[in-house]
Amino acid sequence: MTTTDRDTTSSDVFSHETVRSYADGETIFSEGDSGRDLFIVQRGAVEIRKHTANGEIALARFGRGHFFGELALLHSLPRSATAVAVGTTRLLVLQPGGFLLKIRRDPTFAFEMIQQLSHRVKVSNDRLVNLLEKSPAAASEVVAILKESEEPAR
Amino acid sequence: MITSIESSRMVVISDLHLGNPFSSQSRKIFAFIRWAAAEGYDVCVNGDGLEIAQSSFAKMTMEVPEFLRALADVRKAGREAYYVVGNHDIALEHFLDDWGMMKASPFLNVASGEKRIRIEHGHLYDPFFVKHPHLYEFLTRLGAIPLRFFPKSYRLWIRFERWKSGRRAKRTGITGEPRAFAVAAAEIARRGFDAVVFGHTHHAGQVNLEDGARYLNPGSWLLTPHYVEIVDGEVSLKTWSVSRKTTA
Repeated sequence: MTTTDRDTTSSDVFSHETVRSYADGETIFSEGDSGRDLFIVQRGAVEIRKHTANGEIALARFGRGHFFGELALLHSLPRSATAVAVGTTRLLVLQPGGFLLKIRRDPTFAFEMIQQLSHRVKVSNDRLVNLLEKSPAAASEVVAILKESEEPAR
Repeated sequence: MITSIESSRMVVISDLHLGNPFSSQSRKIFAFIRWAAAEGYDVCVNGDGLEIAQSSFAKMTMEVPEFLRALADVRKAGREAYYVVGNHDIALEHFLDDWGMMKASPFLNVASGEKRIRIEHGHLYDPFFVKHPHLYEFLTRLGAIPLRFFPKSYRLWIRFERWKSGRRAKRTGITGEPRAFAVAAAEIARRGFDAVVFGHTHHAGQVNLEDGARYLNPGSWLLTPHYVEIVDGEVSLKTWSVSRKTTA
């Protein structure tokens, strides 16, 4: 694995984004890492992997135009999974202070971000329903957990 | 709402302003749409296809039904018709979608061949429209008065814009339009697009952006019949005539 991580745009105080390149198989960030950057795939693809009790599983693969790493940027959380480049990959990296500036200059990015996030929620919900239908024994337990985590009405 | 599509063959036209007193190319527009359908293209109207702000009701009733029939012919030919809303028809988004003969959208991300192309009307990057929306609307409606009596006065305004932009020492955008549009196209292209297509400014042209990306604008059919052709990811700006088509 060759490290090719390069910032091709200088990151001065007025720059809100940089470009980085990665070789095939190179790790972009690892589960548990701290970091606040959000990434948009310019070229290539990125696979999101997570360690589970049953080994590492691939959660998703993102191609050109898709973004990832939003939990760290929006919620200041450690990386919840590992991101790995698939093929030669180039990423646009949004730094924390630059997020709103990006939306100001490219407002449809916000639209696409909401659209992609709501799609991911739908896919997760569909997967959950499928799982529950396959194992009815776990269904009542999961429903109880979901009820507990419901946000109170305001 | 559909914003991501695939198309191997598509043509993009913009700013038809059907229903505007200045609109005089409607027959040519309908012929173009039917030609595109016969040639197996998807058709995208990139905003301000229908005129709401400066409309003449009589013109609307004469031109809009035939426009919709032409778009219906695209679907009959097995291709798709898309309508990206602009600032003159922003209120029509769901109205157009509900008619069922076209898919309306605020913008389109087109996957074609190995390329990604963004199609968007572009009014969000017009500094005047964004900073002074009420004044913009007022002046647009006010502009309808001279257009009603002297439709060709519009050409003078376009010439003035080109003259004004030609006086700038360093040009980086399409002649006639504020540099803000090329800057916005570059910003969008950095999200992994190979080409960005705007309308809105009525100035046809194309410029190269960083990293091999391009910004194109087919201008307005009020002035010249330009269109953007997308074939298996290859994007080009062309001029159409009834008898033949030529590269711009």
